[in-house]
Amino acid sequence: MGFFTKLFSKQMDALCAPVAGNAVPVSQVPDPTFAEEILGKGIAVEPTEGKVYAPCDATVDMMFETGHAVSLVADFGAEVLIHVGLETVSLKGKHFTVHAASGDKVKKGDLLIEFDLDAIKAEGFNTITPMLVCNSGDYSTIKTHVGKAVTNADVVIELAK
Amino acid sequence: MKEFTYVIKDPLGLHARPAGMLVKACAPYASTVTVTAPTGKADAKRLMAVMRLAAKQGMELTVTVSGADEDKAATELQAFFEANL
Repeated sequence: MGFFTKLFSKQMDALCAPVAGNAVPVSQVPDPTFAEEILGKGIAVEPTEGKVYAPCDATVDMMFETGHAVSLVADFGAEVLIHVGLETVSLKGKHFTVHAASGDKVKKGDLLIEFDLDAIKAEGFNTITPMLVCNSGDYSTIKTHVGKAVTNADVVIELAK
Repeated sequence: MKEFTYVIKDPLGLHARPAGMLVKACAPYASTVTVTAPTGKADAKRLMAVMRLAAKQGMELTVTVSGADEDKAATELQAFFEANL
């Protein structure tokens, strides 16, 4: 029975949207580092609100001191990178407020980063926010749910080993 | 085992993009590649580990390459560091 259960009902783990907005395929991100999945497979959100929430229960692996990106290790094992905007590393922390630190245990929905969406846009940056699974190779199936408006309540990536 | 050192020139340090490029550059080799920075040590084929170094401009990295293709890998990776980081 165990064999068939495994075969027919593959356990899928889930990642919710890190930010509210419009979810799009990562291939639509106008930056080859993301679009060509060099950092991993995933999705991107065009944010409508400047708040990044934990996509699942996880440990903060590294909160970039500039606040423009955060990496997490999900309790189920996925290594997740959330990167707010493109080239935003050069803002050196301006317009970003961090709400979690490296090593923190977080629950899905915990606020990780706040950012001033309008100010970042006004400085000419694209605020599209990719979320990637850095250890994509550890998963046989990675399903994405894009092409719609999402909030932190919506699952955008499902994974199975 | 082969080893070389490199001082980061990128003013923004080893942030997400260069870290991703480094991981991609190391992937084809059979050798293990380890990067040691003042902030820690990372398997250069694992993105999260490389990002965790938070290596900054001016920091010296020691890159250790060990395995069947270590000669080729070390030469090519040294060129990669010079050109990209």
